[in-house]
Amino acid sequence: MVRFLVDRLLSLVPVLALVLVVIFSLARVIPGDPAVTLLGPGATQEQISALRLQLHLDQPVTQQFLSYVTGLAHGDMGRSVKSGRPVFEEIMRRLPATLELSVMAMLMAIVVGIPIGVFSAIRANSWFDHLVRVISLVGVSTPAFLLALILQLFFGIYLGWLPISGQTSPFIFTERVTGFALIDGLIAKDPPALWDAFLHLLLPTTVLAAFLAATIARFVRNSMLEVMGQDFIRTARAKGLSRYAVIFRHGLRNSLLAAITVIGMKFAEMLGGAILTETVFAWPGVGRFMFEAIKNRDYPVIQGATLVFAAMFVLTSLLVDLLYGRLDPRIRKKMQ
Amino acid sequence: MDHLLYFLKRNTLASVGLLLLALLLLMVLGVPWFTEMSPVAVNMSQQLLPPSWMHPLGTDYFGRDVWVRVIYGGRYTLAIGAGVVMVAFLMGVSFGIVAGFVGGWVDTVIMRSVDALLSFPTLVLAIALGAAFGPSLTNAMLAVAITLAPQFARVARAQALAISVKPYVEAARCLGVSTPRILWHYVLRNGMGPLLVQASLALGSAILQTASLGFLGLGAQPPAPEWGADVSANLPYLRASAWVALSPGVAILLAVLSFNLLGDALADWFNPSKRHAP
Repeated sequence: MVRFLVDRLLSLVPVLALVLVVIFSLARVIPGDPAVTLLGPGATQEQISALRLQLHLDQPVTQQFLSYVTGLAHGDMGRSVKSGRPVFEEIMRRLPATLELSVMAMLMAIVVGIPIGVFSAIRANSWFDHLVRVISLVGVSTPAFLLALILQLFFGIYLGWLPISGQTSPFIFTERVTGFALIDGLIAKDPPALWDAFLHLLLPTTVLAAFLAATIARFVRNSMLEVMGQDFIRTARAKGLSRYAVIFRHGLRNSLLAAITVIGMKFAEMLGGAILTETVFAWPGVGRFMFEAIKNRDYPVIQGATLVFAAMFVLTSLLVDLLYGRLDPRIRKKMQ
Repeated sequence: MDHLLYFLKRNTLASVGLLLLALLLLMVLGVPWFTEMSPVAVNMSQQLLPPSWMHPLGTDYFGRDVWVRVIYGGRYTLAIGAGVVMVAFLMGVSFGIVAGFVGGWVDTVIMRSVDALLSFPTLVLAIALGAAFGPSLTNAMLAVAITLAPQFARVARAQALAISVKPYVEAARCLGVSTPRILWHYVLRNGMGPLLVQASLALGSAILQTASLGFLGLGAQPPAPEWGADVSANLPYLRASAWVALSPGVAILLAVLSFNLLGDALADWFNPSKRHAP
């Protein structure tokens, strides 16, 4: 197990190095002198020189890259051109909000997606199965921002049931211990705050979960169909196991194995959707921070946020690999 | 080809996709016959009118007919889809095929770079690249193409690996055919099927992602009637005149859906075990 983990981590090194090169180049492919572009028209020569110095633009590129990487190792992602504050701190302050949103969305997608997938596999080619196929194709074809707007219009403006922006209402003052509004509400033992946080989560979570749930349902359906056609399922049936046991203990367990990889990959993919969702719902997370940075051409922030998203992506795939080993005895054996 | 058409016709979802696509093409090619209104002419006396016979989808804040903007936007969307996939195909396939055919350290370098690009959530990478290149439609398309290229590289590499050991490639080598010629005439032509499926599947996400970049202000710039940019430009009027922001959004949905329906059916077509399933 340890050996597997070490091997897996070592194989990440060249990939991570290239990831850093890509992110580093982001601020270097800006046409012209980045310092001039960043400061915009009306900047004085002194300001430009100062920024060139701050961004190490006066050094050779390799030197620049090295100091960028050394900085990262110390948790230094540079300073925001807009606010002047350290990018790393700014991102860390917003990360809990993004994590809260994406973890809730993933839970929702799993809770909705897996049962639907199983049911449409059991009833393959029934009207339910066809309906699910159509809905999930529509689900993966809908731009996140369109779904967000429709939900905002219907539940927020037309019915007036749910809040359409922010993580909490302005009049809620729980102490921000963790930055996760739900957990902070629990710690403060403040039911109204907890309820408020929950209501604020509903719409953005649904938007983020829709795409993922559609993908999970389709994938579970297909892998379930494949598994249910195999010999060991026939054996299980032949030895007189109940329908329930065959479907859940033998069928679902084996098809979930394949589904986990997809869920993990799509979870990370969903983080990209967080930029759109957070922007539409004014959610105070990393995604909206990145959006604002784009408007302000704040490259250190864009680089930092991209790095955080990539890190979450790589971490998730590592976790998936480990989980995969835990769940499948055959792979566990190979690992040891 | 006849078989494929028959297969698509028998598949209800694929037929719906074909129909949607045909409507889109008809609209895009026939715009001048449908209307003489301009998608960009401002008419401030006709601000934010609700849908009517004159303006089926109402008018926007500048008094422009939303329906006309949506159909002109279709031109952008088709061009975006085709352009992005073409660039991604060219980039991905050329690297992938070389990696698979040449092997060795070339393969390692190319595929590790592909892995690095795949270590980003696609939309995040597209947004980051788009932000770096600067906001314009061409840059947004290039950014999205770069994020889609690795998938083509993977498929092309797998195809090249499988084909490079075939006897006819060996025969060509013995005859002294040059490597570029082998790659072009033998490997690429015989490995085209899965690459085309990949291309048809990528069309939908190319459109969706470029629209998302447009929505964030990184794509087409006003007054171009691009759908994603139009949704975000009309957000301030969502409460009072929802149709202005929703119409281009629904248009994106329908266009992407038509490509996804077709791509889905094509993937089934190339999968022999599913070809005969209803």
